[in-house]
Amino acid sequence: MKTNQKKAWLYLAPTIIFVTLFSIYPILRAFGMSFQSGSLIDLTWTGFNNYKYIFNDPEFWLAIKNTLLYAVISVPVGLAISIMLAWIIFDKVKHKALFETTFFMPYVTSTIAIGIVFRYIFNGDYGMLNFLLRAVHLPAPDWIDDPAMSLTTIIIFGIWSSLAFNIVILMGALRNIDPNFYTIADMYGASGKDKFWRITMPQLVPTIAFLLTMNIIGAFKIYTSVYALFNGAAGVGNSGTTAVFYIYNKFQTVGTPGVAMAATVVLFLIILFATFLQRKMMKKIGEN
Amino acid sequence: MDNNKFVEVKNLRKVYDNGHEAIKNVSFSVKKGDLVCLLGPSGCGKTTILNILAGLLNPTSGEILFDGKSVVNVEPKDRHIGYVFQNYALYPHMTVLQNVMFPLIVGKNKKSKPEAQKIAEKYMELTQITELADQKPGNLSGGQQQRVAIARALVQEPKILLMDEPLSNLDARLRLKIREEIRSLVKSVGITTLFVTHDQEEALSIGDKIILFNDGVIQQDDLGENFYLEPNNYFVANFVGNPVIDNFKVTKTDDELQGTDFTIKLADLDESRFKRSIPNGEYLLSVRPENIVPASDGILNVEVDDVELIGRERILKFTHDDSQARSLISLEVPVNHGDQVNLKMRLDRVFLFTPDGERVY
Ligand SMILES: Nc1ncnc2c1ncn2[C@@H]1O[C@H](COP(=O)(O)OP(=O)(O)O)[C@@H](O)[C@H]1O
Ligand SMILES: [Mg+2]
Repeated sequence: MKTNQKKAWLYLAPTIIFVTLFSIYPILRAFGMSFQSGSLIDLTWTGFNNYKYIFNDPEFWLAIKNTLLYAVISVPVGLAISIMLAWIIFDKVKHKALFETTFFMPYVTSTIAIGIVFRYIFNGDYGMLNFLLRAVHLPAPDWIDDPAMSLTTIIIFGIWSSLAFNIVILMGALRNIDPNFYTIADMYGASGKDKFWRITMPQLVPTIAFLLTMNIIGAFKIYTSVYALFNGAAGVGNSGTTAVFYIYNKFQTVGTPGVAMAATVVLFLIILFATFLQRKMMKKIGEN
Repeated sequence: MDNNKFVEVKNLRKVYDNGHEAIKNVSFSVKKGDLVCLLGPSGCGKTTILNILAGLLNPTSGEILFDGKSVVNVEPKDRHIGYVFQNYALYPHMTVLQNVMFPLIVGKNKKSKPEAQKIAEKYMELTQITELADQKPGNLSGGQQQRVAIARALVQEPKILLMDEPLSNLDARLRLKIREEIRSLVKSVGITTLFVTHDQEEALSIGDKIILFNDGVIQQDDLGENFYLEPNNYFVANFVGNPVIDNFKVTKTDDELQGTDFTIKLADLDESRFKRSIPNGEYLLSVRPENIVPASDGILNVEVDDVELIGRERILKFTHDDSQARSLISLEVPVNHGDQVNLKMRLDRVFLFTPDGERVY
């Protein structure tokens, strides 16, 4: 018993050391730094000043607002579109493997590269998107250079780039549903709608819960796609700034790590709360 | 409207896409209200036939009539069939009640919730699962899941019930109990039932009649006892019966059957049991173990290798022609391992088969 316990600790040691070193320590350090001011090599305690600063900084609130809006819109919409597409592919398409590979391509390609491609697609004057919009006589906004459009552009790009991962995971889950479930439903005369809502969706709940968690956390950490879309900036006049953009900016460019860490702690708490909320929600849905 | 042919299958063939011919020219019919067992070893095509009857598979050729009307081009949902799958396929995310109600609340003729619930509850009572209404299938035992699957198959009040090895997932004791329940249930509902099994004992105990398949071909379509008393061929004789039948190689001459270590005079056989006159040559003599027993005037002297008790009987095992054979005797007869016994055959009960399995006596 005793020796067993010792052995267990021995086996766990590498993991514990890694987790402490690379996960727990940075969190504690960030938490500590959020109460300090000065540059990285010369930190002094300053109480709640950093928090006061960010709460009075309109740019911080814009960043939080943008991030929340982005998460609240792009995650559900992206997931809904993913479910729809995955179901259509699963139900209707013959050569699924080819489709899946195609869908997975964006996932293995770097966001930066795709973001740059999208920069061209979204270009107000010669972009493909506006070319198509004009062709069907729809308004063709200036996606990249109009500050009012920044967030919309980011959301569209976010939805698009979330599809790959979501669809691949959802296809796996769909394939795991016992085909007899549908065969039996067919025998009872169930319609396509009946089958989708009474069999497919309930069977997908655990997968959707997983994707929701992943997507929400990813959404709160949005940075790279903004960087790529707006050529390294956060949109014209910082109109598309996000929480991580704000943190990075305060840390690297402005050189106030304490402020950056205070914002980090706030973001951390928001993610924690969002994850908690959505877990409760999925549990409720799973029970019904 | 011939109630003797409520279900009629004519010259049915099924060739799978890979070229495998799973069903080869099968014809049979089922009487209204009967419980018929489709019996056969694994892979003989039982599930294929059920799927074709249910409309889940298209036959390659042949005709299927329900109540005199062809259903070959009828959608599964319009065939009025209840199907209990081998693995039950209950919906794990629904409660028992929701599972049983499911067929009633989907599709074109869906009923209102209260109406559906009333019907579902009736069948749940019939299958004795009323108390389980709010449970999820994952929490149920195999026997309980079985009942839920049956209740779900019955709620649409189908005309024909198909059951694919419904007892194969249950333990032995439960199997005995549930098979009786299934029989009395389908009889009380009066539904025409096709029950698939690979277990001959199950088929004998539950079926009004049995259709025995092998390799996509009907071997015998008959009342249970006839599989035992009058098997059509060598396969049937060997598939049905427990303990299994004994087979002896014999050579027929003008007036004798010559086996290894024993001889039977043709004159001692029952002339009227010969199906046709047969030429001299190699044959297989098959004897049910209870028809080859120790006697003072026995013709085959063997040493008993092993004795097995089964209830009120004893199985004597002995080796003949390098293969094991059995004799079934009453428990009262004292025979032990290592004893020499003289075995006598009841010649009016033995069977004679040609080397390719045709029965000739
Ligand atoms: N989809 C299929 N494609 C090709 N062969 C099949 C298919 N389904 C079943 N078979 C073959 O057809 C034969 C009969 O199968 P099945 O009806 O499932 O047998 P049973 O139910 O009697 O065990 C088997 O040899 C099986 O391997
Ligand atoms: Mg089968």
